[in-house]
Amino acid sequence: MALPKRIIKETERLMADPAPGISATAHEDNLRYFDVIIAGPTQSPFEGGVFKLELFLPEEYPMSPPKVRFLTKIYHPNIDKLGRICLDILKDKWSPALQIRTVLLSVQALLSSPNPDDPLANDVAQHWKENENAAIQTAQEWTRKYATA
Amino acid sequence: MAKIPRNFKLMEELEKGEKGIGDGTCSYGLSDGDDIMMSNWNGTILGPGHTVHENRIYSLKIHCGPSYPDMPPSVSFLSRVNLPCVNQTTGEVDPQKLTCLRNWNRNYGLETVLTDLRREMASPNNRKLPQPSEGTMFN
Repeated sequence: MALPKRIIKETERLMADPAPGISATAHEDNLRYFDVIIAGPTQSPFEGGVFKLELFLPEEYPMSPPKVRFLTKIYHPNIDKLGRICLDILKDKWSPALQIRTVLLSVQALLSSPNPDDPLANDVAQHWKENENAAIQTAQEWTRKYATA
Repeated sequence: MAKIPRNFKLMEELEKGEKGIGDGTCSYGLSDGDDIMMSNWNGTILGPGHTVHENRIYSLKIHCGPSYPDMPPSVSFLSRVNLPCVNQTTGEVDPQKLTCLRNWNRNYGLETVLTDLRREMASPNNRKLPQPSEGTMFN
């Protein structure tokens, strides 16, 4: 059950030098399983929100990407009702050169730039395309309702 | 081996179930597609051929608690069925009487439970058991 050195290194660095607005804490009983918190980026509809996620490094990591999911409800065209995230680097664009940190920074960036042309939540994406202002307003409401610390 | 946490295991099971498992004789899905904890599931078993269950469709509910998959799920039939492992009043499956629940390990899943129940239906002891009328439900 020895943890690969790479995972130990990454975890140490996440603790010692966390990325702004992101925290990741490994579970004591499973060092491949992390509780993640991402602060909603400023100038985004998610500003002021605190979003909980979970991250798991599968056996094949880093040859396979981490698995990441939102636990906090969020109104976003690329995140579905079960918190699954549509992000290329979590799928076919994964490279072992990426890390937990880069993945979480990409998720944070996705909050700043929703992409309704590559949707996971179709109804949300359609709302975003038809009436962006109204969609943003709903996203702000959900942030206030569900993403408070 | 990496120990897959509950939620990611259930997510894998969900995605497998959505694609369709095996020959389609057993299937399952989330009972509430909004439930971020993925606790409650619906299952379906198509009665095995050449038994009294042939052509019957059985509905079940399955609950995966916070300790799943370290602990087995709790399983109940919604459709009435006469099997030794099923409580005839409530439809609950007695975990002591179903092999995969009694000898549970965390590599098992919802598919294991449903296929094990279907195997029970087809076992030499059970295949000819008298059955309640088709389509009746436990209350």
